[in-house]
Amino acid sequence: MSNMFFNEEEMGLVQAICSRLIPSEPDSPGAMEAQAYTYIDHALAGYFSHLQNYYRQRLHDFNRLANRYYGADYVRLAAEQQDELLHSIERMQVGEDSDDMRVFFEVIHEHTIEGTFGDPKYGGNRDFVGWRMIGFPGAQWGYTGEQMQLGYDSGQIEILSVTDLLKRHKEAEKEVSRS
Amino acid sequence: MSVRIDAIIVGLGAAGGLIATELARGGQKVVAIEKGAFYRQSDFLGKFDEIRYYCRSAIVPHMKSDPITWRPNEKTKAEVLPWASNTLGLGNPFQIPPSMGTGGGTLNWGGAAFRFREADFRMKSTIAERFSESALPEYTTLEDWPIDYRQMEPYFDRVEWELGVAGKAGNVNNTTVEGGNPFEASRSRDYPMPPIQRGAVDDLFCDTAKRMGYHPFPTPTAIATTDYKGRKACTNCGFCHGFPCHIGSKLSTHDLIKAAVEETGNLEIRPFSRVFRINKRADGRVKGVSYYDADSRIVDLEAEVVILACYALENARLLLNSGINGNGHVGKHLILHNYGWFNGVLPEITNSFMGSLQGGSIIDDYTSELIPDNEEGVLWGSPINTWTGDFQPIETIHGLPPHVPKWGKSFKDWMGQNFRRLFRMYSQHSTLPSNCYYVDLDPVVKDPFGQPALRITHEWTDYDAKAVEYFMRIKRKIAKEMGMLEWWEDSPTPNYHVTVHDVGTHRMGLDPNTSVTNPYGEVHECKGLYAVGGGQFVSQPSYNPTQMIFALAYLTSDHLLERV
Ligand SMILES: Cc1cc2nc3c(=O)[nH]c(=O)nc-3n(C[C@H](O)[C@H](O)[C@H](O)COP(=O)(O)OP(=O)(O)OC[C@H]3O[C@@H](n4cnc5c(N)ncnc54)[C@H](O)[C@@H]3O)c2cc1C
Repeated sequence: MSNMFFNEEEMGLVQAICSRLIPSEPDSPGAMEAQAYTYIDHALAGYFSHLQNYYRQRLHDFNRLANRYYGADYVRLAAEQQDELLHSIERMQVGEDSDDMRVFFEVIHEHTIEGTFGDPKYGGNRDFVGWRMIGFPGAQWGYTGEQMQLGYDSGQIEILSVTDLLKRHKEAEKEVSRS
Repeated sequence: MSVRIDAIIVGLGAAGGLIATELARGGQKVVAIEKGAFYRQSDFLGKFDEIRYYCRSAIVPHMKSDPITWRPNEKTKAEVLPWASNTLGLGNPFQIPPSMGTGGGTLNWGGAAFRFREADFRMKSTIAERFSESALPEYTTLEDWPIDYRQMEPYFDRVEWELGVAGKAGNVNNTTVEGGNPFEASRSRDYPMPPIQRGAVDDLFCDTAKRMGYHPFPTPTAIATTDYKGRKACTNCGFCHGFPCHIGSKLSTHDLIKAAVEETGNLEIRPFSRVFRINKRADGRVKGVSYYDADSRIVDLEAEVVILACYALENARLLLNSGINGNGHVGKHLILHNYGWFNGVLPEITNSFMGSLQGGSIIDDYTSELIPDNEEGVLWGSPINTWTGDFQPIETIHGLPPHVPKWGKSFKDWMGQNFRRLFRMYSQHSTLPSNCYYVDLDPVVKDPFGQPALRITHEWTDYDAKAVEYFMRIKRKIAKEMGMLEWWEDSPTPNYHVTVHDVGTHRMGLDPNTSVTNPYGEVHECKGLYAVGGGQFVSQPSYNPTQMIFALAYLTSDHLLERV
């Protein structure tokens, strides 16, 4: 198992949620291909380690809701039912019993976004899926005046991660490192 | 300690960093205490990273270590304000004090650099003369400044030429110059560098604005646009606001401090050290400070002069925590900016992730005293500012239009279509200072060192909302004329209460009974103690505050070096 924190079952559930939040389409990959779930798994093992129990508990509750409303685990539901459940959780009013679930929706939504649109070194945005989706070239040392013209097609610019960029700028790096 | 210290500087941000540099270069022995790191430039090489700097707020204070509480009024219990990747890792860190470590807020600022207008120094009398003595709401404690534009002009000039600001003058020695701001006060010379690279939308904005009778001019920026005094020209990388600069184009006092340490031998920096108390001698003069060092040990340090430069909020906390508030004015007269965010989508691709957010133009036709007569009772105007570049994906998603779902296929489609054509206008409406809105020490919440947290009591008023709405109407007209496809607006009474332009908490004045410092920043009731930065402001212009903070820092330095 390559997970850093989740067990297989939790990972399956996280993947199912991610793939509804930013769905994959025939010509347009989503959070699943971006491996946003890896971002979340890695973050929980590191930067968000204080949220480990929180995630574990809420994922469990989330799946219980799926069972309560649809009589099956979330991963087994049809995509429409999965969306329906997410919608109803997102719309829960503050103060209701399930307020916790609504907040959890916000949390996992935020982390799916981060795992899709953040730098790949954190484990997500695999093959720049997130950045390709929106036409963002990622980490660039800079842009020229010609590129900063109306209608310029940013697809011409090779997408770079921070790591790629720094490899190309070894010289600059040396210069700056001296200071 | 055997070595004589001339001055202790607490906090190495905009004000403290500049004063530390000036004093060290002027031959004084300076020890600077900074709660963040003493960075190396190489720390910032990989700064093109939204997760690290935006979502996880790598260089700003966090809720746990630096709690600030907020309540809308005195009847409500204050709660810790959420920010900086709050406890659940929800990134909405707009509500943050500027960053920490050498450079402070100048590490992650946007670099917009404005002089005050002449009338900004006399807001109270200008309003009284223009409207009437009773035009101002009763609750305001607004005053005029004890200094004026003429006195400060040489200091504004020094910021522009010694520190380096790029822009286009509109009024040199009372002669109008084509292409600049026709409404600006007379300046002694142009900027030393041309304006920053224009964002792709700028022509469209300027043409539209001119057609509507306005006079747009390029936003002045403290970002080098040519190689200047050791700083490299900006490369338009698009990770600027909220990010440190990878090549030092954006003015940061970090660079000044570092050079001063190496070249003068007069400046010692003690990083990861936080001051919690100012100590006084029996005769009331300042004696020194107590701080927690990097290992959380308490250290007492003494000097003839102590300069508090910890930002307007923390300066007030330290004064209050040290019992320096004889006349009750510390923490009062808090002034914030309300930004009136107006976001939209353009018909053409502008690649709004490229370049500085300040790569656009500004309209000053209705700024400050130029506000037209109006029925609504808006007494003070604001510029219409533009935000043309520097949009990153995650931050954009945090501010989607209300009709766009936050997830699913429609979310994906919207981002795919529109991320490359975003545009933002905003304003900077200053709240009116008062005794109802202030900062003090929280009676319950403490920081991890056991010191009371700062508490903010603030709510937006009907007056604020009116002013914001007046300018929203203008923005809507411009948006329509520009052919914008859709737009969405922030609430005129938004949910943030720390605005990064928070000022007035230890305001200057000549009368020791009604103000905290004199114009040099020296605290009336404690000789040798200076409190500098935006806290000194008497009123806030409708411009970003930091050029004035720098100008005042030069004034304080000249005074301490006995040049004025
Ligand atoms: C994202 C962002 C964008 C901005 N954009 C602009 C802009 O475009 N134009 C503009 O004019 N302004 C801008 N600002 C505002 C600008 O950063 C501030 O006006 C300016 O930095 C304030 O200067 P200061 O010296 O008062 O405090 P700061 O620059 O905040 O410096 C305070 C320093 O004190 C240190 N400190 C605090 N408490 C202690 C303690 N107890 N002991 C020791 N050290 C301590 C801090 O770590 C920090 O280094 C922006 C701010 C932010 C956050």
